Amino acid sequence: MPIPERIPADRLLDAIHGAGVEFVVAVPDTHQRTLLEAIEADAGIQVVRAATEDEGVAICAGLIVAGRRPLLQIQHAGLYACVNNLRGIGLDGAFPIVMLVGLLGRDPARAPRENFGSMVRLAEPLLDALTIPYHLLETTVDLPQLAQAYGEAEVCGGPVAVLLGEESGPPQGVPA
Amino acid sequence: MTMSRDAVLDVLARRRTGEVVVATMTSVRSWQERAPHARNLLCFGFMGGASTLGLGVALGRPDLSVWVLDGDGSLLMQLGSLATIAGAAPRRFLHVVFHNGVYEVSGGQPIPAAGKISYAALAQAAGYAAAERFDDVETFDGALDGLLAVDGPVLVELITNPEGDFYAAPPPSAQAQPPLLARNWPPVRADLAGD
Repeated sequence: MPIPERIPADRLLDAIHGAGVEFVVAVPDTHQRTLLEAIEADAGIQVVRAATEDEGVAICAGLIVAGRRPLLQIQHAGLYACVNNLRGIGLDGAFPIVMLVGLLGRDPARAPRENFGSMVRLAEPLLDALTIPYHLLETTVDLPQLAQAYGEAEVCGGPVAVLLGEESGPPQGVPA
Repeated sequence: MTMSRDAVLDVLARRRTGEVVVATMTSVRSWQERAPHARNLLCFGFMGGASTLGLGVALGRPDLSVWVLDGDGSLLMQLGSLATIAGAAPRRFLHVVFHNGVYEVSGGQPIPAAGKISYAALAQAAGYAAAERFDDVETFDGALDGLLAVDGPVLVELITNPEGDFYAAPPPSAQAQPPLLARNWPPVRADLAGD
């Protein structure tokens, strides 16, 4: 297992731009707060604030109908909260929704499914149960997986999750 | 007073031009019969999600008008969507809530706070640009053009009769085909792309 690192927010933002994302639909996540600050400051991305992750899934689907490319930015707790819309809209509706999911509180010395806390430990098994593919961003080397997730979602006709293993870091050159 | 859902749908159908209309639950069949159109986005199976599905379309295509045909039981399942929609402030967004006071598809059980709750008041408090409640068709018909001219989002709460449209599970042969939304949204997207 690679040693997880705090990926700088600007590198994550570059990856989001590289994936062609136009809208970020967000329910705030402590784990991704530096990234969310960077996105909010970026005039090239429109942020939609949702009250719940269920709503976030539906907004992303509507944006896809409108011909746009959204990213759903949520925390693992939100993944548990939006299972019904992930099933009813994402899976049954066959919407290629890509989610960036923060694993808040993860012990980086362990793989997510070997963590003690249920929030982190059950995220991957839940995605397995839902038949939703996922990828784990552990270091900057993994960043291309975000763009690849969009292609995968189109091919499989459904949601794909990208799990952020460590808390997003401050932008490069900015002290933590 | 109360209205029949179909009389209300007739009022809306007479004004329908190029709007994207998201219909859910018991309004799906009646709307599709009255106003078949390439921009009908029809959905079942995730109660409460229709309004934010419509919000996504409205944000992605702010040049278009979006109408959502929602139910009171559905809206209650994702009531926070009122704040999300008010915050995003789509300008050409009409949220129609059929307030019949029951979970119609499951047999007509009363919703929580039936007879007490006001969705127009909730929407107004959440920050919708306008929200009004109607209990007769003529008054709604007379007010609709003015409401459609308001910079949205706009919610109309319509006090309607339960229609007795209980849900009957489709036969196994029908369950084998892709769900309604999966069949329905790609043609809507294609139609919007050609606009």
